[in-house]
Amino acid sequence: MAQTLSTRSFGVIAGSVLIASLPITAYSASDPPSLSHTTVLSNLENPWDMAFLPDGTMFFTEKCRGLSVRLPDGDVNNLLGMSDTDNFATTADDLFCEGQAGMNGVAIDPDFSENQTIYVYSASKMSDPPTNRVLRLQLNSDLSETSNRTDIVEEIPYKVEASDHPFGGPGAHNGGRIRFSPDDGYLYVTTGDNHNSELPQSGDTLGSKVLRIDRDGEPAPENADATPEGFDPRIFTYGHRNVQGIAFHPETAQPYVTEHGPWHTDEVNALVAGGNSGWDPRPNMAGRGDCPDDYCGYQPNQNEGMDPEERADYMPMTDTETYPDAMEPVWDNNGRSQGISSAAFLTGEQWGAWDGRLAISFLGIGFGGTPVGQRIDILDLADEGQSVEDVTEMPAPMGSARFRALVTGPEGDLYTAAEEGAIYRITPQ
Amino acid sequence: MKTPVLCAVTAALAIGMTSAQAGDASAGETLYAEACAQCHGPKARGMASFPSLAGNDEEFIVSRLEQYRAGEKVGPNSGLMIPNAADLSDADIANLATYISTRFQ
Repeated sequence: MAQTLSTRSFGVIAGSVLIASLPITAYSASDPPSLSHTTVLSNLENPWDMAFLPDGTMFFTEKCRGLSVRLPDGDVNNLLGMSDTDNFATTADDLFCEGQAGMNGVAIDPDFSENQTIYVYSASKMSDPPTNRVLRLQLNSDLSETSNRTDIVEEIPYKVEASDHPFGGPGAHNGGRIRFSPDDGYLYVTTGDNHNSELPQSGDTLGSKVLRIDRDGEPAPENADATPEGFDPRIFTYGHRNVQGIAFHPETAQPYVTEHGPWHTDEVNALVAGGNSGWDPRPNMAGRGDCPDDYCGYQPNQNEGMDPEERADYMPMTDTETYPDAMEPVWDNNGRSQGISSAAFLTGEQWGAWDGRLAISFLGIGFGGTPVGQRIDILDLADEGQSVEDVTEMPAPMGSARFRALVTGPEGDLYTAAEEGAIYRITPQ
Repeated sequence: MKTPVLCAVTAALAIGMTSAQAGDASAGETLYAEACAQCHGPKARGMASFPSLAGNDEEFIVSRLEQYRAGEKVGPNSGLMIPNAADLSDADIANLATYISTRFQ
């Protein structure tokens, strides 16, 4: 552990610099808000997630740099750096980035005012082979330094070796979002399948799951009552492909996840305890034969464009024939995959007709005739949250980007991290 | 009196070759913004699974794009790069290579 400088003042627009204020009338049927935006931080490296204190203090992660905090006055303290980073208060030589993996999600302890504690999800070489871990960290009083690192989950699978698949490099399908439920107070941790077909339906590994744990990493006792016998008790739901977003309904606390599809069918799922999301890319299953490197996730044709509907028939995101009780998506992006990433509920009268709606973000990926689709959509849930009544594309005032994260700030504004290197604040008017 | 003539011819050829190999960076910038920036980023630093392009020389970029255009599989993102490169002309490739190699050191 190296002790170095902790304040980053260069290369970052530390103040809130208003670069555009564009009153835009959205095109939903009712009365959506006009939007303006502020660039909160720029010149970042692959920003991945944010978490806010009530005073506006913003913790944020950069995939290959680590954890930092932006204070309400605009100063930035670099707190916990990955190996080979400079200018962080502390660097951890075991933390590393590769492909989609690195330092991903960040969450603030619900009792932060008492315990100064936060959590991050990061790839680590402390184990062999490397894994993803959930780290618990304690902040000092002026938020310039972390200490008392405790790894509360140590064995979330990380993809070590490249494989013969699209995006088949190490670090693929890495999950990484972490959020506390405002209802049960547990920490929910989303993970991915690593291009490993055994993970989704297995009960003894933590890949392709949503975990529900307490602040020491112990399982929520209710998990084991809901999951199949023999499952790791930290598992809340299973059978996922690559979950990168989770948000809780502001009234019901129902957890919703966003699940990135294989060139078809990005999903929004309403989770139920013990639920199976129905992803099973194992070879010689459901009418499929052998597959490249024992993973059928991109079959029947992993390198050429083809009709997404045909793909879905052959390798469904939610296989309700094999798993009749699987959780069916409340929305499927019209059968397309465009890199769904994060989710956050909009709350407050300032959002007008969008108050209570679910914002979801897309990284954008154009393949086989599917438009790239970098955007933020606003979903109007219906049928007690089990379906979607209306979808409105947010006229993003900052323009399109690879939107990696969505987080609602303490004042109710929507913050988004664009992987190009900025964090934006979107304000309704 | 042959030497000056030969020198002049050699110089003209060299200039001609240089301008043929070095693409139009301005055209490359436009094409990069349209076709490349969404994945490799506006500063070519790479994002998620998409690699950084910074620091690659012109020859390397031309070579890679020609391989993808020919349908050759090079690395895990070939499924995306092959269709993206399929319709690039020689001039497009030269323009992109010039822009990327000079703009993103």
